[in-house]
Amino acid sequence: MVLFLLLASTLLGMLAGLLPVVGMQSEREANPRSDYQPPNLQPLPSPASSNCSQLTLKLEFSSEVVEHEYIVAFTGYFSEKARSLYISSALRGAGDKNLEWHIVPRENPASDFPSDFELVHIKQASSSSLLTLEDHPYIKRVTPQRKVFRTLKYIPSPEPAAPFQIVIDCSSCFSGLGHGTFVAGVIASMRECQGFAPDSELHIFRVFTNNQVSYTSWFLDAFNYAILKKIDVLNLSIGGPDFMDHPFVDKVWELTANKVIMVSAIGNDGPLYGTLNNPADQMDVIGVGGIDFEDNIARFSSRGMTTWELPGGYGRVKPDIVTYGSGVRGSGLKEGCRSLSGTSVASPVVAGAVTLLASTVLNRELVNPASMKQALIASARRLPGVNMFEQGHGKLDLIRAYQILNSYRPQASLSPSYIDLTECPYMWPYCSQPIYYGGMPTIVNVTILNGMGVTGRIVDKPIWQPYLPQNGDNIDVAVSYSPVLWPWAGYLAVSISVAKKAASWEGIAQGHVMVTVASPAENDSEVGGELTSTVKLPIKVKIVPTPPRSKRVLWDQYHNLRYPPGYFPRDNLRMKNDPLDWNGDHVHTNFRDMYQHLRSMGYFVEVLGAPLTCFDASQYGTLLMVDSEEEYFPEEITKLRRDIDNGLSLIIFSDWYNTSVMRKVKFYDENTRQWWMPDTGGANVPALNDLISVWGMAFSDGLYEGDFTLADHDMYYASGCSIARFPEDGIVIAKNLKDQGLEVLKQETAVVEGVPILGLYQTPSEGGGRIVLYGDSNCIDDSHRQKDCFWLLDALLQYTSYSMTPPSLSHSHSRVAPPVGAERPLPQRLEGNHLYRYSKVLEAHLGDPKPRPLPACPHLSWAKPQPLNETAPSNLWKHQKLLSVDLDKVALPNMKSYRPQVRPLSPGESGAWDIPGGIMPGRYNQEVGQTIPVFAFLGAMVVLSFFVVQLTKAKSKPKRRKPRIKRPTYLQQQTATAGKNPTV
Amino acid sequence: MMVAMMLRIYCWENFLRIDGLDWHLHFPKKSHAMMLVLRRLLRKRWVLGVVFGLSLIYFLTSTLKQEERSIRDRTLLEVKDSDHRIPWKVRFNLGNSSRQITQCRNSIQGKILLTDELGYVCERKDLLVNGCCNVNAPSTRQYICKSCLANGCCSIYEYCVSCCLQPDKQPLLERFLNRAAKGFQNLFTAVEDHFELCLAKCRTSSQSVQHENTYRNPQAKYCYGESPPELLPV
Repeated sequence: MVLFLLLASTLLGMLAGLLPVVGMQSEREANPRSDYQPPNLQPLPSPASSNCSQLTLKLEFSSEVVEHEYIVAFTGYFSEKARSLYISSALRGAGDKNLEWHIVPRENPASDFPSDFELVHIKQASSSSLLTLEDHPYIKRVTPQRKVFRTLKYIPSPEPAAPFQIVIDCSSCFSGLGHGTFVAGVIASMRECQGFAPDSELHIFRVFTNNQVSYTSWFLDAFNYAILKKIDVLNLSIGGPDFMDHPFVDKVWELTANKVIMVSAIGNDGPLYGTLNNPADQMDVIGVGGIDFEDNIARFSSRGMTTWELPGGYGRVKPDIVTYGSGVRGSGLKEGCRSLSGTSVASPVVAGAVTLLASTVLNRELVNPASMKQALIASARRLPGVNMFEQGHGKLDLIRAYQILNSYRPQASLSPSYIDLTECPYMWPYCSQPIYYGGMPTIVNVTILNGMGVTGRIVDKPIWQPYLPQNGDNIDVAVSYSPVLWPWAGYLAVSISVAKKAASWEGIAQGHVMVTVASPAENDSEVGGELTSTVKLPIKVKIVPTPPRSKRVLWDQYHNLRYPPGYFPRDNLRMKNDPLDWNGDHVHTNFRDMYQHLRSMGYFVEVLGAPLTCFDASQYGTLLMVDSEEEYFPEEITKLRRDIDNGLSLIIFSDWYNTSVMRKVKFYDENTRQWWMPDTGGANVPALNDLISVWGMAFSDGLYEGDFTLADHDMYYASGCSIARFPEDGIVIAKNLKDQGLEVLKQETAVVEGVPILGLYQTPSEGGGRIVLYGDSNCIDDSHRQKDCFWLLDALLQYTSYSMTPPSLSHSHSRVAPPVGAERPLPQRLEGNHLYRYSKVLEAHLGDPKPRPLPACPHLSWAKPQPLNETAPSNLWKHQKLLSVDLDKVALPNMKSYRPQVRPLSPGESGAWDIPGGIMPGRYNQEVGQTIPVFAFLGAMVVLSFFVVQLTKAKSKPKRRKPRIKRPTYLQQQTATAGKNPTV
Repeated sequence: MMVAMMLRIYCWENFLRIDGLDWHLHFPKKSHAMMLVLRRLLRKRWVLGVVFGLSLIYFLTSTLKQEERSIRDRTLLEVKDSDHRIPWKVRFNLGNSSRQITQCRNSIQGKILLTDELGYVCERKDLLVNGCCNVNAPSTRQYICKSCLANGCCSIYEYCVSCCLQPDKQPLLERFLNRAAKGFQNLFTAVEDHFELCLAKCRTSSQSVQHENTYRNPQAKYCYGESPPELLPV
């Protein structure tokens, strides 16, 4: 039997600054811990809190000779017996019979081992007797014993010294789960399961109800309190996917702008990509991922790029660092230790380390959210074989971070600190595909960290300097950046493209971008003074000749919408615990496996982050549109039609769209206290139908699900639609599937025969392209995928790119006549949907929303190159460290000995292992409003029907089978000898 | 807008595994007869019915209670009884410009602007080493209510703080402090003086949002006044 406990609590820890915590202390007396307290803004006394004030340490030495005691040093190591023998023989040689002496006994465990000295007490020692002692061949020298006094004096100073800490939690006080206790323990436990910074002061807040519901407004008020109290570090072991919760995101910025170092857990949604959580995905926050004790990335740790920047840009690298998050031991609820797993646990490890680090820095002015983050990422140890979107800068290294922080000078730095598109696997996905002329520019989104001040700016413009000896002039670079670096950070997006002259060239090109960051100097006596820092971003790319059109696949990112901000429901309706489509739908997030597969098949995959009017269709073999939620501009529809006439092929993986089901999957969200109605289905089928209607094609509003076999491959259709219309000369494959719409709406099961799911069509015009429709995207999507269909994608790309009709499909016995779609009306857009709020295409109008004017295509202004006759180092990574810190010269202790150990479990404690891909309670609180009345009603109905049955049967007594009575008795006797009783 | 916060908890319990559990009940032989009676009794449908009914009632009451508790949890921040008074110890700044000051606290966080404790707003570049605004800089203004609306809500935080520091705002602030919701007690009892009060009061808080993840008024969200920002439709 497995007891599956999911955790309910949460914890927010903060390390606080200096103000005497008057309000808090008075509260300690007023509110004993067991009393009920409002869940927020109630600092709870912590056993770990110590009342440090600002102190400086004064150290003094003095020593004096101890009378009659002498240290006798020997030439080698001898046993106690031998030492005593030598001394007595030496003193005997002195001839003084009255000499009173004895060896001062040692009472330490080491006294059993041979030693090279002895302490001798000699009364009235004459110098001659000491000299004879020294004459002994085994005695090296004799010295008087000295007593050393060291005094430590604490003197109150005006400078801040010890960091204080706040932990927000308290679910433990009420629900008995104790995760707040655990996290607080990791940071500051003093006795069992020692934490990192036992002298820190904890401020603890509860941020969840017993039902694990939390509200943005609670965080706003708690963070205001943290700012007022001048807290130093804040640990937030929670987060969510909603990075568009502006009040919350703004408040986190405000918090770090007030010099609060924020450490947050990156999330437990791995190993899927595109699962980063807010606020850990913010530039000003230290986002922490989890590893196990073998230095493998923990399966649950969220990863992939940030999705804020989609569709036009590219995501930033997160997490920032990783640390132990699997089976970490910390304080138990009542006493002792326990182990826990999750990035919730990794976050306080870093928060504890940060606390400790902050306390070591003499000049506290230098510690700020940026400098701390710079020190952590510059010192982190890179894990081999793991890419940067999983490990960030690597594993936390406390000692090295200490060394860096103690020689730190305010400066700017970059994350990642270099761009080497050839380095695998660290620079995945950049290293997985070389660049070529005519391709979509490769974008690297670099974060600028500015340790010089909370605000900063980039002076002039970043300069692109290609290295001529290394063919740097074969690439063009465009740079865009934050106008103001606030708070402590900003972005620097580098777009790299191949120059026309290298269209058929193959090789490596290198150069660098120089950025100068300036911040107002606050300690400068001169008003208006500025601190500046110049950073170099080396760039190395691999260029290949432009591949043929047929090898090039274009992924449409522009028409993929996701949560946040809108409710775009999941593509697989069976996955009830994950109702939202929130992974970005990008080839480097939840379509990563598909991307890897296409790369392994030799295709070059590019991403279109702009309308369909913004690409040169003659360059591409196939346009891939998967699970699109967005509408289309009329210009796009016209252009696509023209492109396909001119030989571009189109593959569409659609998904379900059924207005009744959409109404059914609405839910009441406890967090926002409102009803959530989806704005599209899994995909926006009515919009897709507008796009493909010109070829006489359409998807239906049917909703199907089920297993089937296609060309000897097992397939699973997870909530997809069917093809409603298809040209009569096309190839259409149909399968028997379950009607999932009926199941969702009426809880009935019905199998529908011959559902058309796949259609292949060659357009009639001369040299025209091919169109493929498939009704479900789940088999190429990494999230909730059960069976992949990459083989099908291969076959379809063979068809679209090379016009090779796969015989397994064209001669399949599942092939049916193309549907004409007369029997059922095509799906219409859900009345009153709010898609226009999130759409880049629609805008609100009286009546129906109308398309906006077509936006201009993105235009990159290429930086003017300033060529250098310089040679780049072969390994870019090693040469990128913080200025004024040379770690190679610092002697480092053997890191092995600093590894935390997994201790054997104490008796009565549970064994520990991970729950991969954990399901978290309290994540989505839909159906809460609905289920309770439903349960009550059902229960009442059951009771009622029971009594009705009872009444009708009361007259005729039912017969009972008697022989069954004996069997259990026999069983009881048998089991009595087995004697196993549950001991839960 | 319309976006759930959906916070999650990032860890989980390592769970127990109990091998070879045997769930058969064991009764001593002596009570065989009693057992049989009990067994017969248990077979009676009305007994089962009563047992079921009782458990159903228990289930319903416990779920309802939980629901009630969660409602109580979430309404904690909303305004409570007004007769609750907090002993305030805020020292108000009476606009005594003759006061000599060598070191200033300021609003620290600003992207471009800063407000010092004397109510001057200046650009970051005009900040003196002692933390005060350079009063001689052309753009520096004292007690400025730029961007603030009549209801006491401003679109720029630094102007809100400056406006709030005006000596004539004292009665307004005192009135607010006396009526403040219980949820804000901890915040405002920790405030020492007029400047800290204004820094804390002007920040966005639980009073600034609707549907948790949207500002009531994204344009004017920093309020020194008594009322929350004007509620704009989503």
